Amino acid sequence: MFTYPGGLSVGKGIYWNLSSGERFGVNRKAVLPGPRDERYWKTPALGACLAGPAAGLLFAALIPFLFMFVMLLLLPLTVFASTAALSQESQTCLGCHEAPGMAMTLGDKTTVSVHVDGKQFSGSVHSALGCSGCHADVSLDKHPSAKYATKQQFLMHLASACRTCHADSQLMANPLHQRVITRANAPPCSACHSAHAIRKVSDRKEKISTSQYCLTCHTKPLTKTINGEPVSLALDEGWIRGSVHRNHECSDCHTSYSKGYHPPPTALANVRELSIVTSETCKRCHFDMAVRYTDSIHFTLSAQGNQQAPVCSDCHGAHQVGPKAMTDTMDGVPCRKCHQDLFAAYQKSVHGMLKTAGKGNPPLCAGCHNAHNVKPAMASRSPREMCLSCHPAYAASHQQWLPNPQAHLEMVACTACHVPAENKRSIYLRLTDDATGKLLNDADVRKLLEARGIAGRKIEPKELWWLNRKLNEGGTVSISVAVSMNDSVHAHYLTPKEEALRQCEGCHSADSSFYDTVAIASAGPDGREVYHELDPKVLGSAYGVPLLRDFYVMSGTRVTALDYVGLAMILGGMAVPVAHGTIRLMTARLRRERQHRGEGREKS
Amino acid sequence: MKRIYLHALPVRIWHWVNALCFFVLIVTGAQIRYRGIMNVMSFETAVNVHNFFGFVLIGTFLLWAVYYVFTGRLKVYIPDLNIVRFILAALKQAQYYGYGIFVGDQNPHHATPDNKFNPMQQVAYFSIMFFLLPAQIVTGVLLWDLDRFAAIIDMVGGIKVLGGVHLFLTLFFTAFLFVHIYLTTLGHTPLEHIKAMFTGYEEEPEHGH
Repeated sequence: MFTYPGGLSVGKGIYWNLSSGERFGVNRKAVLPGPRDERYWKTPALGACLAGPAAGLLFAALIPFLFMFVMLLLLPLTVFASTAALSQESQTCLGCHEAPGMAMTLGDKTTVSVHVDGKQFSGSVHSALGCSGCHADVSLDKHPSAKYATKQQFLMHLASACRTCHADSQLMANPLHQRVITRANAPPCSACHSAHAIRKVSDRKEKISTSQYCLTCHTKPLTKTINGEPVSLALDEGWIRGSVHRNHECSDCHTSYSKGYHPPPTALANVRELSIVTSETCKRCHFDMAVRYTDSIHFTLSAQGNQQAPVCSDCHGAHQVGPKAMTDTMDGVPCRKCHQDLFAAYQKSVHGMLKTAGKGNPPLCAGCHNAHNVKPAMASRSPREMCLSCHPAYAASHQQWLPNPQAHLEMVACTACHVPAENKRSIYLRLTDDATGKLLNDADVRKLLEARGIAGRKIEPKELWWLNRKLNEGGTVSISVAVSMNDSVHAHYLTPKEEALRQCEGCHSADSSFYDTVAIASAGPDGREVYHELDPKVLGSAYGVPLLRDFYVMSGTRVTALDYVGLAMILGGMAVPVAHGTIRLMTARLRRERQHRGEGREKS
Repeated sequence: MKRIYLHALPVRIWHWVNALCFFVLIVTGAQIRYRGIMNVMSFETAVNVHNFFGFVLIGTFLLWAVYYVFTGRLKVYIPDLNIVRFILAALKQAQYYGYGIFVGDQNPHHATPDNKFNPMQQVAYFSIMFFLLPAQIVTGVLLWDLDRFAAIIDMVGGIKVLGGVHLFLTLFFTAFLFVHIYLTTLGHTPLEHIKAMFTGYEEEPEHGH
């Protein structure tokens, strides 16, 4: 109505072709070009510019009303859809059974819910069957009273109804079903499929994720046995949600499983093997950590067949894998699970106390032992480098008061002074292969000890001499000495520096308890040290002079044989004046007489 | 009585400082070796005092060396290079100590500033001052700083060998000390030689020469 057709004679103004957008300006009078169905709109240029946004605004303002209008149209469909499609019979049953909280008391006085959600049932694949389609003993005419002793009996009875349509041959075609339903204690169908909300499996599969599909069953209390050992297959959905892997699908880790395939169980020797085998999957993403792990004591033990050695899931959890930061907390550090005694000692240490108080950045277990390439700290090895990596200034500060700091720091483990005095120290003689710089294999040492019949008892100084000679037949073996803690738990009792031992007498005393235990250290098959105790006399023995040439603790490890030499020398020195003086006394009279006679002085 | 000026002041100072050092070093040394059996002072004190007096001993040894080298009197320590003459004189001296002294014979040796020691003293003091005391000083200095001298210590066979040598020399000096002190009482009067080491003058009866 506000437009002009083509061919019309029009007055002054600007005309816009509505199909091509072409501008047609008229100064006085002109005929609009084109046929009659060509439409023109008359408006000044500014009007054309404003028209677009104005129309947009109008549309935006109308959207909510449009939406509300559509919703109002759809509402009756959704509200009344549920039961509308159900049969008369079903609607009659739901008349009572849709009441929330409706329950039945069983023979064992427990109650079971007999409430049915009509909406869910109408969406069920079985809605067309009506109630009596499954509950065959119930109809509009009869409603038998309860005759079930237990809930299980009730559920199993109802599950038998499923088998009337779903023949065994159909069920056995699915390997998962086959496994479950052939069990003596097979769960009722409803345990996985629910009772009244059963959907067509294929429809449901398409709509849900793999994880949701798996959790359909695995949130139920599923168990299985491996060689008679029961193992739970149940998960808490909350575990997954709280895990850093929450965005992964189950099949990302359980790679042989999918919505379409559930493989038969792998043959395993025991439940532990399940964790070991499943942890292999972590490598797929965490390859770098898996490589590091191969350089750990845990891997070595595991590779040697020790099933107690931890695998990924032992430290990180299986389905509850927490964030990395959690492992750096006193509560979340995984090591404490197995190493309770060491952790209890750590808690009392200066590091543990600071960590608990949240002060500074003290190391937790991994600070000294590493996280994946976990290494045991060895008693015979001074962990000096480890300590100094965080406390570099202490190497210099020890030089200010400690004589021979290098010799001290090389042979004395930091723990020897920085652990309270009441904990036992020992002397370790490290048998080191000069060619590799590593500890000798204990198997080689043990073989020699057994050959001489001294394995398992204290080795005498002379026997150590023999052992050293034997070991040096095939190469160069050197013995270095370390003063360190006798017990790995005690080694964790690190004190604040103010409480460190500064009494030289701790070591530099003939009666120091440090010298009560002396042992040679070699490397065991798992990389940890193995000790063979020595007679502590070796420290003060003449055999020790060349064997332990650099280890001399004044007052502590003196060569006792020299004491007797010394005593003889001093007694010899004292004997001269005693003997000579005695003879002088005895001959005094002789001299007096001679002097009296006027002799002697003139002689010679 | 004849007064001979036998011991110059630097010698007397050296002697008594040296004596003090010997005493302190032997006691602290024993304490360092036998802590736990002998508890006179703490280990730390013993080590610090031992180190301090060790260096005092080195200082006073240098005083001795400088004095004797620059006065040209070092020769009093050098035994007679004519070996036959030396052996005869030494035997004579030994005969005196072993026999003559008991029967009242006169000491064959008469000390003068240029000929202070009898042949036996010369052997003893020459060994001590030229070999044993320097060896004790060297082993002591090496043991004083194991870190600095680690390479040298390793060369001589390790710290236990070095410590053994240091101990052995200490034992020799300790044993010698008993003999040394006893011999000082063999003068004209028992305190004659000791007094001389304070005053510098040795008194000798006029007769007999």
